[in-house]
Amino acid sequence: MAKERKKLKKKEGNAAKYTTRNKALNRLQIKLPEFRRLCILKGIHPREPKKKFEGSHKTYYHVKDINFLAHEPLLETGRALKVYKKKIKKAQAKKNWSLVTRLEANKPSYSLDHLVKERYPSFIDALRDLDDPLTMLHLFATFPAEASYKIPAETVNNCRRLSLEWQAYVARTHCLRKTFISVKGIYYQADVAGQKITWLTPHVLSQVVPNDIDIRVMLTFVEFYETLVGFVNFKLYHSLGLKYPPILDSKLEAEAAELYAVMRDLGKEAHEASEKEKDSNDFNSLSDTDTNHAQEPVNTESRLAESRARLASLQDRLSKMAKPEGNEKLLGVTDDDENMEEDENEDDDTRQCKALFKDLKFFLGREVPRESLLLLIRAFGGVASWAGDNAPFEESDEDITHQIVDRPTQGHIFLSREYVQPQWVYDCVNNRLLLPTIDYLLGRVPPPHLSPFVDNEKEGYVPEYAETLKRLQTAKEGKVLPLPGEEGSKDTEQFLESVVANRTESMEELRKTQKQAILEKTYQEELTKEIAGIPFSGSIQTMDRDEVDGEHVVEKEAYSHPETMDEEPPSAIAKAMMPRKARKLYAAMQIGKQKKQAEIDLLKERKRKSERKQNKKVAPEIEFQHTFESRCKASG
Amino acid sequence: MRSSEKKQVEESKKAASNGAVVSDINGVPSVPDSAREDISNATSESEDEDWHNSSSDNDGDSSSISDNTDESSDEDDEDTKAINEAMLDYMGALEERRQREALGSEEEEPRSARTEVESDSSEDEVPSRNTIGNVPLHWYKDEQHIGYDLAGKKIKKKEKQDQIDSFLAHTDGSKSWRRKIYDEYNDEEVELTKEEVDMIRRIRAGRIPHAEVNAYEPYVDWFDWDGKGHPLSNAPEPKRRFIPSKWEAKKVVKLVRAIRNGWIKLDKPKEKPKFYLLWGDDLKATEKTANGLTYIPPPKPKLPGHEESYNPPVEYIPTQEEINSYALMYEEDRPKFIPQGFQSLRQVPAYSEFIKERFERCLDLYLCPRSRKKRIDIDPESLIPKLPKPKDLQPFPNICYLEYHGHTGPVVSIAVDPSGMWLASGSMDQTVRLWEVQTARCCRVWSLDGPVRHIAWNPRKDLGILAISLQSKVLLLDLELGTSDPDEVSKLLALNPSVMDNDGDGALVTWMKHENLKALEVKHSQEVLSITWHHKGDYFTSVAPDANTRAVLVHQLSKQQTQNPFRKLQGRVVTAMFHPSRPFLFVATKMHVRVYNLVKQQLSKKLMTGLHEITSMAIHSKGDNLIVGSKEGKICWFDMDLSTQPYKTIKNHHEDIQAVAFHTAYPLFASCADDSTVHVFHGMVYNDLLQNPLIVPLKILHGHSKTGGRGILDCCFHSNQPWLFSAGADSVIKLFCD
Repeated sequence: MAKERKKLKKKEGNAAKYTTRNKALNRLQIKLPEFRRLCILKGIHPREPKKKFEGSHKTYYHVKDINFLAHEPLLETGRALKVYKKKIKKAQAKKNWSLVTRLEANKPSYSLDHLVKERYPSFIDALRDLDDPLTMLHLFATFPAEASYKIPAETVNNCRRLSLEWQAYVARTHCLRKTFISVKGIYYQADVAGQKITWLTPHVLSQVVPNDIDIRVMLTFVEFYETLVGFVNFKLYHSLGLKYPPILDSKLEAEAAELYAVMRDLGKEAHEASEKEKDSNDFNSLSDTDTNHAQEPVNTESRLAESRARLASLQDRLSKMAKPEGNEKLLGVTDDDENMEEDENEDDDTRQCKALFKDLKFFLGREVPRESLLLLIRAFGGVASWAGDNAPFEESDEDITHQIVDRPTQGHIFLSREYVQPQWVYDCVNNRLLLPTIDYLLGRVPPPHLSPFVDNEKEGYVPEYAETLKRLQTAKEGKVLPLPGEEGSKDTEQFLESVVANRTESMEELRKTQKQAILEKTYQEELTKEIAGIPFSGSIQTMDRDEVDGEHVVEKEAYSHPETMDEEPPSAIAKAMMPRKARKLYAAMQIGKQKKQAEIDLLKERKRKSERKQNKKVAPEIEFQHTFESRCKASG
Repeated sequence: MRSSEKKQVEESKKAASNGAVVSDINGVPSVPDSAREDISNATSESEDEDWHNSSSDNDGDSSSISDNTDESSDEDDEDTKAINEAMLDYMGALEERRQREALGSEEEEPRSARTEVESDSSEDEVPSRNTIGNVPLHWYKDEQHIGYDLAGKKIKKKEKQDQIDSFLAHTDGSKSWRRKIYDEYNDEEVELTKEEVDMIRRIRAGRIPHAEVNAYEPYVDWFDWDGKGHPLSNAPEPKRRFIPSKWEAKKVVKLVRAIRNGWIKLDKPKEKPKFYLLWGDDLKATEKTANGLTYIPPPKPKLPGHEESYNPPVEYIPTQEEINSYALMYEEDRPKFIPQGFQSLRQVPAYSEFIKERFERCLDLYLCPRSRKKRIDIDPESLIPKLPKPKDLQPFPNICYLEYHGHTGPVVSIAVDPSGMWLASGSMDQTVRLWEVQTARCCRVWSLDGPVRHIAWNPRKDLGILAISLQSKVLLLDLELGTSDPDEVSKLLALNPSVMDNDGDGALVTWMKHENLKALEVKHSQEVLSITWHHKGDYFTSVAPDANTRAVLVHQLSKQQTQNPFRKLQGRVVTAMFHPSRPFLFVATKMHVRVYNLVKQQLSKKLMTGLHEITSMAIHSKGDNLIVGSKEGKICWFDMDLSTQPYKTIKNHHEDIQAVAFHTAYPLFASCADDSTVHVFHGMVYNDLLQNPLIVPLKILHGHSKTGGRGILDCCFHSNQPWLFSAGADSVIKLFCD
């Protein structure tokens, strides 16, 4: 009887739906680390029961989740691996080397393919959750393959490859939308199949793995993410009609080995030679697509450079690896195809992105983040080269329109091109317009870099530079953009003119709309009166009065405004009628609003202070000018 | 100890010698101990040698053997001496033995030396002539014979040769004497052959006795060597080698099974492509996970704002003072990220927290419980209920139209004449004033002997009677308005003589005539706080909260009688009111409103207000709706037909509500409070019972100033216009018109 009652007790309710973690462990007969690993791979997370029946300090899992885990093939694989390890250990202890080798040859293997399909039944699902995987892979790609960190070199290489493949896809389909250099790293946002995917790449500097993290957890995540991103990449490449993986397997493997060799020892020349041959092939095609007219000299030059240079940096090679993929030359897709491709299903945004850096040729300095800029420039339709070996074209190329530098001074300056700081590219990309370069020139402190992810209007505070940018954008929409090759100062002049013109226009428009609004309002009032059943005569009177007043209407309204302000706003009266719940919610919302307002006020305060400071600084300069002028006058 | 040890050694030696004798008996050649030892050593050595030679080299051993034989022949002469000595030894040993045997070891049988010598080969043994057996020879010492032959004839002893003969025989020249041995047993001289001597010598030298036996013959290898290891044994192949093994068969079966079941894979598995087309073309997001639970996607991290920029606008970078002030904050309040500005991109360092943040994100992903929380993303303004516009609900008091100045103390109570012409007000300055509503002119002032608590106008238009509560008295004052009928009023206010008679100690109140004024005075035991008239103008109630069971009294003006309707009251009564049309009495105590049926004399309803402290009450002119004002600034609207719970509770005032009022004609009601505001509401009651009353706040009227912590003390509506009077603690009365 007691048993029966007990069973009945557990048939429904929270106790039947949820179990604690320890109970789950007992049920699955595994240890905690293994359980955690499975949870990570399987995407199972704790849940909050409505009532925490075993105490609030415990972790609760859904029973269905645990049953799901119990039927997971990986559970068996895990056990097999455990047994396998024991066997090897035993054999080693007994010095049964033949058994050890035989066992090592038959290591039980597993794949996570089924988990990817299970967790993300459709492709959109996978894309939706792609933010974390991409960030993680980009991070791991920068890790040193050092034994002390216990990060396998293979993982690092694989991460690197996957992230490059992803970048290549993004660059090729021009689906990059926003980017932002933050202190933490560089954010990118791409629009793939309608999903906004944001990922963060660390600055290309060496990462130090802190001691207080458990790298195994991260490695488990990475293990799953590798599989996921691999399949996503496959699907994406497949949708473009490309082969995946982009480079033949053997080649890739050689590449990976080579990478590793480079990391450990930079002096492997034999490898280098073969590598370079491949690279040069890549570049031929690159130059085919990019610079048709400058094909021959570039080729020869690049070859010369190859013969001269022995050691190329890792990044160079990787970027080369990535870019050709984007260019499709591996599959023999020609330039024409690229122009024709998916013109039908391209939306306006993509077209706009594609055309941003069209006909522009960039040269990247040694000191700028090359990978990031290459991705940006290619994703927005530009052509880029860099200082280093095997670059597609040399610094001395006459067609280069922009040289991206990040140094205080430049030795030799070509007059035909503009020397801009890297931020210019990022700001252009975010605003979808070629900004005047004057603020971004060599050696200047660039204007503030603003986050494209912020809705300034919603936030309630618009930074000054955002306003400037918006004005420029409206100007661009109104007018044809000045040619990018022109001087910066001219650009600004034009912009200013256009801005002024726009302003007058907009003022006129504003007036018009105001009038219209007033007319509409009166009409609306009439209608409401009609509906309310108020006799027309009375309204006619008022109308007549309004009409008689004519222009005064606006004035009157304006005049009456302070009065209405003085009066209680209708909402204040209505507040009394709110139910208690709504009233409290409203009050809580007001608190949030106040906080936000306080932040905005703080920003405004700081701005005012800094402006005051600047003015103080500027003041003596003006004085000096005065004296200078007076002196001139005196002398003149 | 030593002597004993020596003895032991000697004994053991003796035992050994005895053993040698025993071995003789067993047919081992009875060579003396030393000699025999030598021989055995030699043989063992030679055997060892033999082993060595055969194991090391098979070819070389024969030559070494031949060398040995050569040597032996060369050293033949030298050896002869040694042989002689050996022979002598041998003979001496025999002598000794014979003597010992003769001395008395009877169990040992005498044996011929010859048999002894040739004992090991049975075929060349010559049967001895003597047949006595192995008996001691000294038995025959004194006999002529030494034994018997096979035929049984006595064997005669030979004549003993003397020494000289024997010596001559030795020196005879022939060498053969050396080889002659005397056989005592058979009593004859035996001449050893050369071969025999040689054999003895060989034995002594520890070699193989027979010279013709070559111990080192070339080795004949009968074993088939090719493809075989060292033969450990020459044993023939056993049978088991030709029978298939059971265990091997078992192993094979195991392997076969393993192969069949796929445990052992002979072919290398095909390299599957690592990635393949996992998804089809459907671009539909799925909501459910494979286990049937709804999929809760991990919340996306917050996107970075301007402050995270490497080069943020100046206003986003906190000043040093601000950064310092963060240290004083609580740790959880402290901003986690402090914006920084860099002049150029190349100066941006690696973000040290990057890995940690990613790690924390990982932890969040798999350790944090996920649940879908409904986030209210609504405009707060949308929470405010959409009400009909006040404009559409006109008329209602809107603007302050008139002010009535004159009082010098807070105006506590006001009342409007039923015709709407006059307004009476009572104040703390101990006066009651009568105002003309339209002109704000003060017509009359009555100075009284105490602060006025409450005034109430008789609802009958033809009687200009005002009820005033003055501390523990209630005055019924004739206002002497032109409209009233002076006779009736004076008749009513004339003291009824029967009342005088009734006057006694047990009376509830005392009715008496006021000394100065044309008024009746009803004296209560405690201070009267409120007076309300019945709609017919004959009855009125007075409430004196401190008077315990006599708190609520009902007075009849025409008969000048007073009744106490309640024997017992629950709680402190605040106010009491008559139903406007039916015989009901509403009594408001601190937290409840009780409705008494006056005809049945019983409680008919108890309204649960849910308020902390009721201050005022007003009844709708139709009598089915009631409002109650409270100290926490709440108004409760009761619809008596609905329930005893409030139909609507409105929290509109910040401070104590002092009074609430219904308009008798218009659907309006109002509340005034110490926050010196009057809230005017539209309160429409429909005749249709199914339709609930409509309550719309219309207007908040300001104008009074707060004096002494009190704002507006009373408000009342004009009897037939949508106007509102409010009496403030600032001793001003205001009229608000539409």
